[in-house]
Amino acid sequence: MDTQSVANEVIKSTREKQAFSIIALIRNEYFLYLVSSAAFVLLWHWVAKEQILGKSLATPYDVVKELGRLMTIKLAGKNLFGHAWASTQRILIGFSLAAVVAIPLGLFMALNRTVNAIVKPVFDLFKPMPPIAWISIAILWFGIGEPSKVFIIVIGTFVPCLLNSYNGIRLIEPELYDVIRSLGGNRRHEILQVSFPAAFPAIFAGLQISLSIAWTCVLAAELVSARSGLGWIIVQGMKLTKPELVIGGMLIIALVAWLTTLLVSGLERVLCPWKRHIEGL
Amino acid sequence: MEKQKNVHNKIVCTDIGKTFIQKGTQQVHVLEKISLEVHDNEFLVILGPGQCGKSTLLRIIAGLETPTEGQAFLDGKLITGPGPDRGLVFQSYMLFAWRTVMGNVEMGPKLNGLPKKECREIAKHYIDLVGLQGFEKHYPHQLSGGMKQRVGIARAYANKPQVMLLDEPFGQLDAQTRLFMEKETERIWQTEKRTVVFVTNNIDEALILGDRIATMTGKLPGKMGPVYKVDFERPREPTDMEFLKLRHQITEASELVL
Repeated sequence: MDTQSVANEVIKSTREKQAFSIIALIRNEYFLYLVSSAAFVLLWHWVAKEQILGKSLATPYDVVKELGRLMTIKLAGKNLFGHAWASTQRILIGFSLAAVVAIPLGLFMALNRTVNAIVKPVFDLFKPMPPIAWISIAILWFGIGEPSKVFIIVIGTFVPCLLNSYNGIRLIEPELYDVIRSLGGNRRHEILQVSFPAAFPAIFAGLQISLSIAWTCVLAAELVSARSGLGWIIVQGMKLTKPELVIGGMLIIALVAWLTTLLVSGLERVLCPWKRHIEGL
Repeated sequence: MEKQKNVHNKIVCTDIGKTFIQKGTQQVHVLEKISLEVHDNEFLVILGPGQCGKSTLLRIIAGLETPTEGQAFLDGKLITGPGPDRGLVFQSYMLFAWRTVMGNVEMGPKLNGLPKKECREIAKHYIDLVGLQGFEKHYPHQLSGGMKQRVGIARAYANKPQVMLLDEPFGQLDAQTRLFMEKETERIWQTEKRTVVFVTNNIDEALILGDRIATMTGKLPGKMGPVYKVDFERPREPTDMEFLKLRHQITEASELVL
């Protein structure tokens, strides 16, 4: 009885699919992705064309045309790729510097009470300070060149890198250490076989957060003072009252930022193969 | 207190008491005057309701906790810390998520400095013993609960401990899988005999597996109740006359329904 009713159900649903293929199409999520994206672009085009929000919104076509122009023409000695690379380079340098110092420091703090007691009060003072608050002092110290921008990124990404590697170890189930000890391992084995590998996913979560903070930092720094970079492009668009340049810059930032997060999640896939099947992004 | 050096007794606990100190001042009295003997190659089940200190007793035998009073001995030697002579299986599996089945099972031999090839061979043997052949390269999250605990058992066995300590190992499994895993545990134990201390709150599990059942009373501090000898033949069925009789006897004697 039961199996038969299940079989009937299956037959019915396949028949429905054949008969009403439009319903199936509407239920297809890829089709819906396409429809929703197209609708957004059309709406954008309509709002810009009819100047519903005034003259300061460029049409999608204008934006694409402007981006095409920037690929061939040089602004301040660099084309679009040059500026995108300038920003990315600052991020990669600042981000790596922070990660190389903050991750081991966080691990040490979690594993050693003395290190924790020494570093924590200083760290707690700097922790709630928004990185943007450092821009003025960074310019005073390092001038308006590259070092001040890298410095802001280091400041901004240091906190999440440290906190995540620290918590990654602190949140380990203590019984996992009991396993190592009852199998005949010592403190060194506990750290190498449990602490480090168990903290890996948390460290990568910290890197992802750091990366988005790094993009915020680099843009803020470039908006204040720069001669290159995607933030600088946006400022040019504002100064020249060219909304297509501003929006184009914003879109490129989204694209490049997305590519850098792919880089980090790719690295995570290689280094934490046991996470491969859980990840959802 | 006389020192017991009975050759037949693998583990001896004498008047063990344990008090935890929480938040600096608050004292929690968990165990009181626990005396227990576990014979060589015996399957001893410690049966008690939740929160009666039975896991603490197991952790004391494992050497992961020190008793506040009394002592625990393994082969006549005072237990002062954990060691590879006692294998531990946890209720929540405690597998290394970042290692494959093979990596988990070979951890014990590896930590004890055996050459890589030997670790592999030992691990392979115990993976086969628990029936996980073909899953060597799987990560724990790819396995079902029952399979995870098989890895836990294999990992403890692979270290060739003299004593296996199991702390409610099937507490997280559904009834069907649980019964199946109990049969499997019996089979594994009969293939490679070890002294086993098995903690559970499930009376049927105790009756299926135990050579003897040591009961503990509910409510803290936990005290030792009567010890029952289960001398009817294996494999046992929960519908056997003798099974039901002893089950009734144990439930009658303990004030709590297990």
